[in-house]
Amino acid sequence: MIKLKMSNIPVNEAIVKAVPLLEVSDLRKTFVDRDFQTPVLKGVNFTIGTGEMVAMLGPSGSGKSTLLSILGTLMKPTSGSFRMLGRELTALSQRELSDFRNQQIGFIFQYHHLLPDFSALENVLFPHAGRVGRETRAGRERAAMLLERVGMQDRLHYRATRLSGGQKQRVAIARALMNQPALVLADEPTGNLDRENADQAFALMTEMQRETGTTFLLSTHDRELAERCERRIYIRNGVVDLERVEIAESTEAPRSGLRVIEGTSVIDKTGEGLRLDAQRGRDGRHSAG
Amino acid sequence: MRFDLKVALRYLLSNRLQSALLIGGVAIAVTVFTFNAALINGLAEFQIARVVGNSSHVTIEPAKPMPAVAPARDGAERLVVSQRALERRAQIKQWRTVESIVDTIPGVTGVSANILGTGLVSRGQQTLPVTLKGVEPSRLSAIAPIGDAIVEGEPQLGLNDILIGRRLANDLGIRIGQPIFIASDQGRERSLTVRGLYATGVESLDARLAFINLATARVLFNLPDGLSEIEIKLSNVYMARAVAKQLADTTGLEATAWMDKNQRLREALEGQGSSGNIIKMFTLITIVVGVASALLLTTFRRRPEIGIMRSFGISENFVLSVFMLQGALIGIIGSIVGCLLGYGFSVFLANVSGGRLPVDPSLGQYDVALLLAAAASILAAVWPARAASRIDPVEAISQ
Repeated sequence: MIKLKMSNIPVNEAIVKAVPLLEVSDLRKTFVDRDFQTPVLKGVNFTIGTGEMVAMLGPSGSGKSTLLSILGTLMKPTSGSFRMLGRELTALSQRELSDFRNQQIGFIFQYHHLLPDFSALENVLFPHAGRVGRETRAGRERAAMLLERVGMQDRLHYRATRLSGGQKQRVAIARALMNQPALVLADEPTGNLDRENADQAFALMTEMQRETGTTFLLSTHDRELAERCERRIYIRNGVVDLERVEIAESTEAPRSGLRVIEGTSVIDKTGEGLRLDAQRGRDGRHSAG
Repeated sequence: MRFDLKVALRYLLSNRLQSALLIGGVAIAVTVFTFNAALINGLAEFQIARVVGNSSHVTIEPAKPMPAVAPARDGAERLVVSQRALERRAQIKQWRTVESIVDTIPGVTGVSANILGTGLVSRGQQTLPVTLKGVEPSRLSAIAPIGDAIVEGEPQLGLNDILIGRRLANDLGIRIGQPIFIASDQGRERSLTVRGLYATGVESLDARLAFINLATARVLFNLPDGLSEIEIKLSNVYMARAVAKQLADTTGLEATAWMDKNQRLREALEGQGSSGNIIKMFTLITIVVGVASALLLTTFRRRPEIGIMRSFGISENFVLSVFMLQGALIGIIGSIVGCLLGYGFSVFLANVSGGRLPVDPSLGQYDVALLLAAAASILAAVWPARAASRIDPVEAISQ
């Protein structure tokens, strides 16, 4: 139904992508519960160029979601800095962050998180109407256009609750793009979908990234999808384990990519990852016995 | 339409049962409020009408002459025992000026210049004390509707005429056209003809009062150019105090409002009023508690959604106003329904009781009820709305 567009990469795209959209340096987050401190991010550094599509991989509890919350300005880091579009976001007030989020950041969540009392069109329109205070004609037209683009033109006025999982996620993708953000953050966007819907949703995100030049950062456990991204960032134990800039080997050879990832995931300077696996194995045996 | 209003409406419509119950709760509270107001105010009007209908609203009387006291020199204190000067008769001498002042006051519907005095009425061996009220014949009904209350004879007051209550006539055993003998407390006597008998239903008027011509009263009470009192009737009885104060200030005479002449009535009305206010206060508290608890529940239920909204940069103020608007909508719709119910219930009871229950549907204080109920609902929404606007999006989304 939705075909991945294999458009030719423009000549200057490499230059555009060299312009950093997001610069993260020594970002730390420690959760404090009374006297108990839990360091989750322990000094994260990376840069994402404008218009890139980056996958973030890492085991559960590695700090991916926390990192996405911080990059999405929903949470303040304990220390460190991150700059987006040349602005130091750790210095902004809550109100400024809310405005910034509205205009520059789009979110896609694992459980689609549409507002159940609103139609597909209203859900997409919400970030815009909520900011300007009313539904504008231009806003409605853009929302309808986006929904048409994600193949939902027949469901514009369906309540969110009447849509299937895959449909909801497509609406969520359209909503994330409503205010023409510079960055879309997707937290396990395909984690709750079956293979077919996951592929469709991912293809859609790739198309939108190419068409609009929007930067995508998505956390995923799906190595096959991660392999189709231009670049992958590995988070383990609160730090970027390995940063590799690779041009995607394109979608026709996912298996070869998969091998590379499996290979890299074994490489672990600290041995943390292996120990984690071993521990999990012990616990499993313990509960079985 | 404002988008926050649209969202608020959508939320109210999405949970119709809860919204209907909330609006119903506010409506019932407002029904109680307005019916209570219609009953208490109707009762007060009924009592006031009975008292005030037959008496003046503002009465101007001569100032009580007090002896002048010479001021002390050099700031020294001086102890003075003063006694009211009794050597002169209290009377309003400058009454023409006073009447011209009264004419300039808006809302005055009737004025009567009277001479009041005590006298003895006798017929044969029967002698009874009466209050004689000398009035201008044209203004006989300016204060009490004596003209309408005439049950026998004519409401005419010639120089030799007298109008007496039917009770007094019965006590004296006298009929229309018969003469009676009047002796005033100034020692003057006169024979007058009974021209009419009235029955107002008020004991003090029917048994102890008689009306005579003002000119006759001047002779009987030896007041060639003074008056005992000027009575004033107002279109709005509650303006009496303000008018009395204005008249006292401008004329230097004593002016008393009806409520200050009827201490007991005033106390009764105040008692009823404050018990009514307690009921009204409880209805408002009911609204605040009901709306606040329901909206707070809604806030908790919608935490993840609010988190989502915040995640795409919807401002705290937007969330705040969505919940405040829900409170306002519940309050406004509920109180409009409540006002209609309260009015309907009052009309129903007033009709069913056939006037025995002094409910006055027009005195339901609907504007006050509407305003207070809406304000109470908005106030009740403040807490839930603030709670909603402060929801941490990360925590709410991960729920």
